Amino acid sequence: MRGGALVLVRLALLAAVLLLWEGLPRSGIVNPMLLPPLSDVLDALVVILGRPDVHHALGITAAEVVVAFAIAVPLGTALGVLSAENEYFGEIFRPMLFYVFSIPKSIFLPMFILVFGIGFPQKVAYAAFSTVFIVIMSASAAVESVKAEHLLVARSYGATRQQILRRVYLPSMLPILLEALRISMIFNFTGVMIAEMYASRVGIGRLIADWGENFEMAKLLAGVILLAAAAMAFNEAVRSLEARCSTWRA
Amino acid sequence: MQYMAGVSGERAGAMKAAVDVRGLSHVYDGRDGAVPALQDIDLTVPAGRFVVIVGPSGCGKTSLLMMLAGLRLPTSGTILCDGRPIAKPDPARVGVVFQEASLYPWLTAVENVEFPLVLKRAPRAERRARAEAMLRLVGLDGFGARHPHELSGGMKQRVSIARGLVQDPPVLLMDEPFAALDEQTRMTMGHELLRIWSQTAKTVVFITHSLTEAVYLADEVLVMSARPGRILDRITIDLPRPRTYQMMATEEFGRLRERIWEQIRTTP
Repeated sequence: MRGGALVLVRLALLAAVLLLWEGLPRSGIVNPMLLPPLSDVLDALVVILGRPDVHHALGITAAEVVVAFAIAVPLGTALGVLSAENEYFGEIFRPMLFYVFSIPKSIFLPMFILVFGIGFPQKVAYAAFSTVFIVIMSASAAVESVKAEHLLVARSYGATRQQILRRVYLPSMLPILLEALRISMIFNFTGVMIAEMYASRVGIGRLIADWGENFEMAKLLAGVILLAAAAMAFNEAVRSLEARCSTWRA
Repeated sequence: MQYMAGVSGERAGAMKAAVDVRGLSHVYDGRDGAVPALQDIDLTVPAGRFVVIVGPSGCGKTSLLMMLAGLRLPTSGTILCDGRPIAKPDPARVGVVFQEASLYPWLTAVENVEFPLVLKRAPRAERRARAEAMLRLVGLDGFGARHPHELSGGMKQRVSIARGLVQDPPVLLMDEPFAALDEQTRMTMGHELLRIWSQTAKTVVFITHSLTEAVYLADEVLVMSARPGRILDRITIDLPRPRTYQMMATEEFGRLRERIWEQIRTTP
């Protein structure tokens, strides 16, 4: 299918879903208590976006997401590079990392509450913990993607260690690292949301959990739309950067 | 020395050794202890000479080349290049052309060629002009903006050759540069290499598995034994230059090729 036609079909599909979302509850085919019509949800979205407590919650959640990300990504990258580059460190830690990676991180959440209490540090610590393993894996895969012959060429032309890092390692690793950034944000955001919904006093996850418990479906879905938009915006931003940095990967 | 006709003959008249290897041996630590890889290699390559090294897989040809490039240190023996020892890579004296896939895929052709000059922090305009000139020399004028994945196998190796020559080193080392190419491209590239060689007056040490390629390109073919690699035979190729494809069909060509094959075949 040609690009233009493909976009049209996709838009038509989206329009159909939105129409059904509006029409099915209105006609009573779907219980509007469980799925309020789209227009009601959009009204609710406007209402919650005007509420100061929602602003406050969004601010807190955003801060948790940013801080957890800022801890998990550099830490995970450093550990990943170390485990790929340092044979000794790699042999010792890599199997352990693989085992821990396979465990669902949410089962550790009660421990984080015991250690950090309920609040900002607990959310950040848990989200960083649930993110750091995927960063370690990706960073070590990125290092391993650097080709031996590319390093040899640089050495044969007298490159210094620093030049090899900047001119061979970095460009080789960049596409994989950007992809890792995108995927780790998914883990990171999920981590913050789970921590907020499980136990917290503030944050947008808390509000969404409350709306669910109080059966305020329009607000709940408005919150979902809001977070989905934020997550997709970040994802697409990194993806466009990724595309620009990897045109050479044919 | 009458066989060294043409361009190479004039330079060889000076008989200054561009590469001089004395008593080189190499032992590396394998899984089952020390493995002798190279043994008592003596090698003198006069300036401007085209020397080809052939030998069975694993005979240490590539190790030898790595040492000539200063990328690996020998266990014993000396390597002089342009009269001075080689202890670490010195791209001003020795350029290296590797096997396929050694170009940086994220750089364009011209950026790949100027890479050694970037490492040297040469001024931008100067290095770009130099790289463009090298691309012209290898017949890739107008292809500078392409990335490696947009070039054919033969074109990629032309870029590699241009990169090897960009600092104008007197010695060019080539490690099976055409091994991954199809037969026709390989023949064309061999011919092109001889043209470039005759225009640049370099000393070339070239490694290959192909006996036809060896006889076609070389002033002298060195035959190496299986591990530990020793030099079994030195065969002077006295076919006139410039070489032509027609020479491959001559009796002389076949005799030289046969002699190399005999050496490789009959040595355990």
